[in-house]
Amino acid sequence: MESLKEILSPDFLLRNSLYTSMLIGFACPLVGVFLVLRRLVFMGVALPQISSTGVAVALSLPMWLGASQPEHTATTEHALAFAGSTVFSLTAILILAFLERRGRGHPEGRLGAAYVVAAALSILLLSKNRFAEVGWLDLLKGEIITVSNADLLLTAATLAIVLVVLGLFQKELLLVSFDRAMAVTLGKMVFFWDVVLYLLIGLTVSMAVLSVGPLISFGFLLIPPLTAHLFAKNMRQFAVFASLIGGIAAFLGFWIAYQWDCPIGPADVVLLGVIYALGFTVKKLASLFQSKSTG
Amino acid sequence: MSEPIITLEKLSIGYDNQPVLSDISFSIPRGSFTAILGANGSGKSTLLKTLLGLQPPVVGKIQIAAPAIFGYVPQAIEFDPLLLLTGFEVALMGVYGRVGAGRFVPQNERAFARECLRATGAEEFARKKFSELSGGQKQRVLIARALATQPDVLVLDEPTAGVDAVATHALLEFISRLHAQQKLTILLVTHDLPLVRKHAQQVVWLHQGKVLLGTAAELLSRERMAEIFEMEVG
Repeated sequence: MESLKEILSPDFLLRNSLYTSMLIGFACPLVGVFLVLRRLVFMGVALPQISSTGVAVALSLPMWLGASQPEHTATTEHALAFAGSTVFSLTAILILAFLERRGRGHPEGRLGAAYVVAAALSILLLSKNRFAEVGWLDLLKGEIITVSNADLLLTAATLAIVLVVLGLFQKELLLVSFDRAMAVTLGKMVFFWDVVLYLLIGLTVSMAVLSVGPLISFGFLLIPPLTAHLFAKNMRQFAVFASLIGGIAAFLGFWIAYQWDCPIGPADVVLLGVIYALGFTVKKLASLFQSKSTG
Repeated sequence: MSEPIITLEKLSIGYDNQPVLSDISFSIPRGSFTAILGANGSGKSTLLKTLLGLQPPVVGKIQIAAPAIFGYVPQAIEFDPLLLLTGFEVALMGVYGRVGAGRFVPQNERAFARECLRATGAEEFARKKFSELSGGQKQRVLIARALATQPDVLVLDEPTAGVDAVATHALLEFISRLHAQQKLTILLVTHDLPLVRKHAQQVVWLHQGKVLLGTAAELLSRERMAEIFEMEVG
């Protein structure tokens, strides 16, 4: 419990990392809800990886431009990474949205190919970069221990924008997700709202990848919505439960990692997996009990 | 016959510039009950999607008398059970066309959606999850949603698919009542001949790439049907 007290202290050295993790934990499931509902789970795994490749490309830029040694500070490095992550994920999601609108080919195949190529490219870029440092790998793995106040503010501001847009336009986003034909007959601009949703997903994924890495981002996008879907009775509950599960797991995961000195991101995802398994078991037992009592 | 609300002129419909049906010309009078008949793959759904503006015609044009709002009732099986919406939330979507983007649905519109659910007899199960309702109950919710759009034309795509005989009878009686009381134009896509004989005034029959038009009494008479099917054999 000492470690918990330490974490909750306002003077805690890693407080910005904790706050960032929790922000990601609360926000990722909110856009993950739409990925699950629209059966775009593959996009949830491909997009963080593409975003991560954007980070690798951005960090390689100084070397490609002829810089003889790494002159950048942690701040400029983070700004470069943010720009690379955002540009790559937004571009990728808009291309994927356009291809989905045309409705041809194999969407899962495209996403699978994008994932594997992006993953391989990240490794290649890092292996060929003579400036590659342990810090860069940490950035890609999401093991950011020191998060500056400016980074925390940037994350909070971006995620706040995502939340406000999601909240304001939830009925439009829900309508195009639930019944596109109805949306068209009501005169709604389906493609526009698809793009808005995809931009929100892209922006959230960019921030998440920078903070917790691609694998952990996928975990936060997918597992909290799946767990929440077991118990929610309507869309509001679905979104709120998913967000709470993500946020609380991010806090508990951080505490566990701090207590047992292990990596934060993997601790978060394993914890989310345990919560999902527990939720699934409870749900199954409840329905078994219910069917026995009614039968 | 009253003035046409929808007119199709030399229309060809299909996908990727490949026509499924060509040179279609007919009109649907305002306030009429029209059935679109045809076997699976005859082009019923393509025609419906083109009428609703969900896909562009290959050639030709559709004239729609303004203002004409379409209340669309899709097949209930098209909805993904993953979406956790109650019957009320589904019906509420019908009013979204009148509520601007970024604005919350006002109380009077919510009350109107409830009224539509009451009118279709769906109020008692409106709080249940849509995915857990029976086929007939889902159709009632979807008709309530279409009514909530305050439509001029109610378009129903095989509303009795997956619905038992009793619920089918009740649904069609209800739609006929709506047609009579509210003077709504009804466009019903089906392949159920007895239902068409009983309820429709005008029939558009898609058969072997041809479009046959007439009243239900004319087109569905024993002699005319024998002629049509002989045409197919010959």
